[in-house]
This record gives sequence, structure tokens and C-alpha cells, in this order.
Amino acid sequence: MKVVAVIPAYNEASRIALVIPRVRSRADEVIVVDDGSLDDTFSVAQASGVRVLRHAINRGQGAALKTGTLCALSIGADVIVHVDADGQHDPDGLLDLIAPITRGEADVVYGSRFMGVESEGMPLMRRCLLMAGRVFSTFALGIPRRFTDPQSGLRAMNAQAARSIQFHQDRKAHCSELLRAASRSSLRVIEIPARVTYTSETLAKGNKTMDALDIAWQLLLGAFQK
Amino acid sequence: MLIIQLILLAGLLAALALTWRRARQDALTRRAALLWSLLWIGGAVVVLRPETANLFANLVGVGRGTDAVLYVAVIVLFYLLFRIFLRLDKLDRDLTKLVRRVALDEHENRK
Repeated sequence: MKVVAVIPAYNEASRIALVIPRVRSRADEVIVVDDGSLDDTFSVAQASGVRVLRHAINRGQGAALKTGTLCALSIGADVIVHVDADGQHDPDGLLDLIAPITRGEADVVYGSRFMGVESEGMPLMRRCLLMAGRVFSTFALGIPRRFTDPQSGLRAMNAQAARSIQFHQDRKAHCSELLRAASRSSLRVIEIPARVTYTSETLAKGNKTMDALDIAWQLLLGAFQK
Repeated sequence: MLIIQLILLAGLLAALALTWRRARQDALTRRAALLWSLLWIGGAVVVLRPETANLFANLVGVGRGTDAVLYVAVIVLFYLLFRIFLRLDKLDRDLTKLVRRVALDEHENRK
């Protein structure tokens, strides 16, 4: 099975060179989507010898992931893994993420931060925000309560799932949109424990409290789009 | 006729003329032009005969005609604002599609 990792990157020149080799050792191919970075992300990623696509202007993480996913499908990926560019996802966990798909037990696998494996450095505020996000996802979006981490960006899916799940949210709302679509389809969607490491840098760039309102607003607007 | 009535009527007439000019340029559908025209004409009726607003106010249970006009105006403005947000969201999505197409084509050409 051909495993392709998709890494969306925005202004990650200082970190992506460390992330790419760690991901490449666990995937057959790596696709980096430079999402209109203002720094040298594109050239740094290209120097690492992986496929690099470039958005001419910044369109958001969801948009970059979709571009990378389409590219992965075009090169014959059997399994597509979405990984953050900031190094917060444990590369060793990628193999665990892919395993249920290669064994034919699942079509989509999410890495959850709330299934017993303690994330390193997760602030209490972030934990509360993610818990509130889970409640919102259940009651406002109808995402089943069994999903412990609807905002997780660490996911793997087989090619059939990647083709059938439609997501249009360009920015941070893509997580909820993608999981909602997957959970409402006939695809087998499961979660496994995942270790996420937070540093001051990843926290500075990650979701803020106010982003929750933005995500809710984007989802509302998206509900009215054809 | 009061000066304010004259000013409002002139504004509404200009809006009506602009609506049909845009419709003739195919920038506005005929249906949309008719709906907008109804809004402008309704406004003109209220300006010319303010007591019609009182009739409407009594009908819906609002005390004064002026209040009823204000409530309707706020609802219409919120609706229009939301429509603009939706339109911007759609433009954003179209822009992303274009950026994605360019990125995939560039990658294809680099190979």
C-alpha cells in the first residue's frame, strides 16, 4: 500500500526541515503544501527532496490539505495521512494511525488526544476549549459523542474515503466539517490514542480562544453554501 | 410636502432607476429587480402616506408606525448583511479553487 503524508505549511521554514525526514521515514511519499508562506518554507521543503506544491496566496490549512490530498490521489496514494508541519505530531504514531487501514479494519482513522495518552505541554485553557468544541460538535453539528477529539488534525484515510469525503472549509473549520462528513457516511471511522507535543512555538500559532467563534461562524456560513 | 419627504423620495427614485439600469445591464436578474422595486416603492408609499405605516403597525401589534418601519428596516439590513457575508464566503471558496488549480498545474509542469 502506498502511504502518502500531506503536510500543510505556512511560515514553517524554521521547523519543516526537521519534520520532513521524520515523516518521510514512515511514509512512501511526502507532499508539502506551502500555503503562501512569506518565509523560505517552499525552498526549505524543496531542498528536502519531497514533492512541494505552492499556493500563490495564503488560503488556510483546510485548503492546503485538500490541495495535498488531491495531489496524493493523482499519484496513486492508497493511504493519505494529514500531519501538521510544526512537529507537534509524534511521527512514531503515524504507523499506529495507518495500521487499521492497511489491516482493512477502518477507512478513516483519527489520532485523539483524549484516549489515555497524555499530550505534552497542553495548557488547561486549550484542554477546556477542546472539550467545549466536543460539546459543540455533538449538539450543533451532530458529530457522534463517541468521537473524543473532533478538532484533531492528525488523521489517515484510504483513497476511497479521500475521494468520497467532501470538505470545502478553507480554514480551521475543516476539522469539524471533515469529521461530520465522514461520520455521516458509510465509512468506518475510528479513533486511536495519539501523543501530541505542545511547545511555546506551536501554541503561539495554534488555535486561540476566539478562533472557536470564528470556526462556528464559518460552519454557519458553510451550511448555506451549495 | 416636507423637505425630508422630498429628499427621501428623490433617494428612493434614484434607487429604483439604478435597480432597473443594473437589470438592463444583466447585473441583476429580473426577479431580483422586481423585489428591490417593491422595497423602494413600499418605502415611497410610507414617505408619502406615513399613516400606512400605522396601519401596518396596528396589524402586527407594534404601537407606532415609525417603530414598525424601524423594526422592518433592521431585519432587512441584517438579512442583506448576511447575504453579503455569504457572497464573500462564496468568492473566498472560488478564489481557493483557482489558487489550488494553479498550484496543481505548476507542480505538474515542474515534473
